[in-house]
Amino acid sequence: MRREILPILVFGLLYAGLAALVTHSYYQLILTVVPIWAAMGLAWNVLSGYSGFVSFGHAAFFGLGAYFVALTQIAWNLTPWFGIPAAGLVGALAGLIVGIPTFRLRGHYFALAMLAYPLALMYVFEWLGYQELALPMQRDAPLAYMQFDDHRAYTWLATGLMVFAMLLTARIERSRFGLSLIAIKEDEAAAEAAGVHARRWKLRAITLSGALAGIAGGLYAVVLLVVTPPAVFGMLVSAQALIVAMFGGVATIWGPVIGALVLVPLSEILHAQLADKIPGIQGVVYGLAIIAVILVAPEGVVWKWRARRRGGAEEKPVEDRSIPSSEPVRPDTRQAPVIFEARDLSKSFGGLQAVRSVSLQVRQGEILGVIGPNGAGKTTLFNLLNGFVAPDAGSILLEGRDVTGSSPPQLCAAGIGRTFQVARPFRRMSLLDNVIVAAWLHERSEASARALALEALVLVGLGAYVRRTAGALSNKQLRLLEIARALAARPRILLLDETMAGLTATEVEELMTLVRTLAARGLTIVIIEHTMQAMVRLVDRFVVLDGGAVLTEGEPARVTRDPAVIDAYLGRRWRLANA
Amino acid sequence: MHRRRSWTAAVIGLAIALLGWSVYAQPKEVEVGLIAPMSGPWARQGQVMKTAADLAIAAINAQGGIKSMGGARLKLVVSDAGDSVEKAKNAAQRMVAESPNLVAATGAYLSSFTLAVTEVTERAALPVVTFSYSDLITARGFKYVFQTSATGDQQAEGSLPALMEMAQATTGRAPKTIGIVMDNTAASVAFVKPIKDHQLRKLGLQLVVDEVFTPPLANATPLIQKVRARRPDILLLLPTAIPDAKLLLEKMNEFGLGKGRLPTVSNGAAILDPDLRRNMNVAQVEGVMSVVANWPTVSQKAFVSEVQQKTREPWPTQHFVTTYGDMWIFKAALEAAGKADRAAVADALRRMDLRDGAARFFPGGRVKFDASGRREGAGLLIVQWQNGVPVTVYPPGDAVATPAWPKR
Repeated sequence: MRREILPILVFGLLYAGLAALVTHSYYQLILTVVPIWAAMGLAWNVLSGYSGFVSFGHAAFFGLGAYFVALTQIAWNLTPWFGIPAAGLVGALAGLIVGIPTFRLRGHYFALAMLAYPLALMYVFEWLGYQELALPMQRDAPLAYMQFDDHRAYTWLATGLMVFAMLLTARIERSRFGLSLIAIKEDEAAAEAAGVHARRWKLRAITLSGALAGIAGGLYAVVLLVVTPPAVFGMLVSAQALIVAMFGGVATIWGPVIGALVLVPLSEILHAQLADKIPGIQGVVYGLAIIAVILVAPEGVVWKWRARRRGGAEEKPVEDRSIPSSEPVRPDTRQAPVIFEARDLSKSFGGLQAVRSVSLQVRQGEILGVIGPNGAGKTTLFNLLNGFVAPDAGSILLEGRDVTGSSPPQLCAAGIGRTFQVARPFRRMSLLDNVIVAAWLHERSEASARALALEALVLVGLGAYVRRTAGALSNKQLRLLEIARALAARPRILLLDETMAGLTATEVEELMTLVRTLAARGLTIVIIEHTMQAMVRLVDRFVVLDGGAVLTEGEPARVTRDPAVIDAYLGRRWRLANA
Repeated sequence: MHRRRSWTAAVIGLAIALLGWSVYAQPKEVEVGLIAPMSGPWARQGQVMKTAADLAIAAINAQGGIKSMGGARLKLVVSDAGDSVEKAKNAAQRMVAESPNLVAATGAYLSSFTLAVTEVTERAALPVVTFSYSDLITARGFKYVFQTSATGDQQAEGSLPALMEMAQATTGRAPKTIGIVMDNTAASVAFVKPIKDHQLRKLGLQLVVDEVFTPPLANATPLIQKVRARRPDILLLLPTAIPDAKLLLEKMNEFGLGKGRLPTVSNGAAILDPDLRRNMNVAQVEGVMSVVANWPTVSQKAFVSEVQQKTREPWPTQHFVTTYGDMWIFKAALEAAGKADRAAVADALRRMDLRDGAARFFPGGRVKFDASGRREGAGLLIVQWQNGVPVTVYPPGDAVATPAWPKR
């Protein structure tokens, strides 16, 4: 993190220094507007860039901040020195109020709902009679009201805000906050299973984002001196925040700043140079410039530059160097106490009864295999056990405590980890970050979370690749990564969903060794699998599902000979061949 | 190398000499500014204002320029206020920074733009004459802003009494009932507020139709049915968007209330715009009136025909007349100041009391600004569509034609 602070401060000082040299009042104004829009872009970035919840409505917070500063100065003679920070609180509150209902929506629906807030506010402020507000000129005490004769002071203030927003972003990016948001963006369900309280982090993000936008709006009001609903709640405001961030690079510290540095002056220069010759052409050229850049660098200038600097090394598949550890010795778990239990769990989806009155007990330290033909309800059972799906009936007990109806992050924190049938890594994050997200669940400091994540990665044999991004991994490595991520949350029970599907025989052996190693370390494991032969050698006990209900359970030797099981799951031919 | 350097020196020397000579040889120029939307949704109005300013400056220069300054010629500097408050403010800052010789300016069409622009010009001590309505423009204690129009509040307060007076004078009896059909935009709401607040009571009018719609209007039938059923003596028709106006007027014609059979009054110049002729059958607008802050009056007949000859405008609208008049105000101020100096021009504007010349282009026929910068006696005009052209019908001293008001 220290690494990022210095360039930001140097940049801020350079910008402020440049501003000090400019005496032309028009250029001063442009130099002031650029950092305000950069800060606005950074505000948008905190929510939408990192969490992926795209907001088309950041004008709502910006406008509320601007109106707050204008109205409090007009009505109560409140100085912007106080009003602008307070506008941050207004923006934060608005963010929270907007976030609580709106985060029920996802994807395009969230974006569209966000679009509605500034539009509604625009009408509200027009209806209130605030079509045009002017910040009163203070002839007696201009400085007390942020009214400077020397316009460079505005630029310095705006630069201060921008640097503040950048430092805040830097702090977020490397912290649990930022990692959790990125994890949510990559895969919200997987993040929740890894113990990330998605809703809580999203609300924090929109609150902080709203606060920054509110401050930017407040300063904008002081610089512009006139506040009108279209100027601060208009579609252009939301679009500007989004465009500068998209142009420069989403989810980066420098992206929105670069976007504002290029686009705001570009728009102004075009306006100044072309508008008197062909009125309106500036909009066309501006639009074309944005389209061109987005075609060349779809994720923004910063990402393009990073990709080029790395020279595509990122894309090479990772060479596999995981070494299977020696066969561990495991205690007999047949008499071990039951630590996890499902009682009469049922779940229907419409007319389909996916899980019917399933009861199962998991003993401390054992490896329990859940098998059954396709559609037997295995994955639904896991979804019930880790809280993705709430059961219609029945209860789940963890060490005797009823945890039915708990959310995935709560269950994760209680000690239930899981992996997915189709691997769900956070593809654009490094392996280390993938695992740190989960490690934060029980660790309080960055260093300890990092240490824990490293330990988990080394344990599964990915210790050599911690800096690589997850997108470049092979199938087996993805499965190992998922296990490492689950381990970092310090689970007591690990639910493995078809972890060996699609692996070669050697890879299956390696994974089995790993699973046994984990069990030997005291971890309880429930595994769904299709690869029968491997399972027979791996598990201590089977539970056989068919048609959503438990068909039978018992030790592998007995279960594989049970005619009902063989008929239902393995088929008659298998029974005859092995008779 | 050496030779090239001496060549460069020679060329630069020559250029300097030519430049110096040309500056010396030309008659002195005085820069005046026009800041208005030249791009974006309001570009058309900006263009109208520029045409008007060009026409006025050509006339002033043809008459010998500013005589007290040895025949100095006026030169127009145009700034594009664009389509947002931010752009308008940027444009004003650029105008102030890049045209230090500017002595005065006019603009900026929308009140919100004018508010932002004058925040800049006030600090640069550049006098600005504006036609924007907002009361706020001259309520901020600014010393360099001059408002020639009746303000928004004055218009809202003054419209209905003016209408009553005109109806009384035309028909011999005062209207007893009134209907209001309006959209819920800010301009309409602000216009109706004083009317509903106290004027109806004061003027003894009974409100028999009171309908508010949210633009865009999908179906005008139920609204106009109510109007036909109650048949008010006056109908205030306050749509802001042209499509809504078109729908309402067409429906009124369909119901036999058009062509002045039901006295119909709007506010502002939108319903009087030449563009309307392209969008709807002009016969259906016949008889519709509007209350505006400026329009060509009887004393400007020659001016109107000049505009029709020299420009492509079918008639000068309020922004045309006003911007044209503003250039003549600048000329008068410069004549009085005797030098191209902002402070002197501002001072001349403050002392100005014209009853002819520029004053002919402003209702009330006088250009004198009070301490806040508002034009004293800034009145309202009532304009009516007659034979496909909007003409001033009230007050009688300014009227080009007599109002058509049904005597039933």
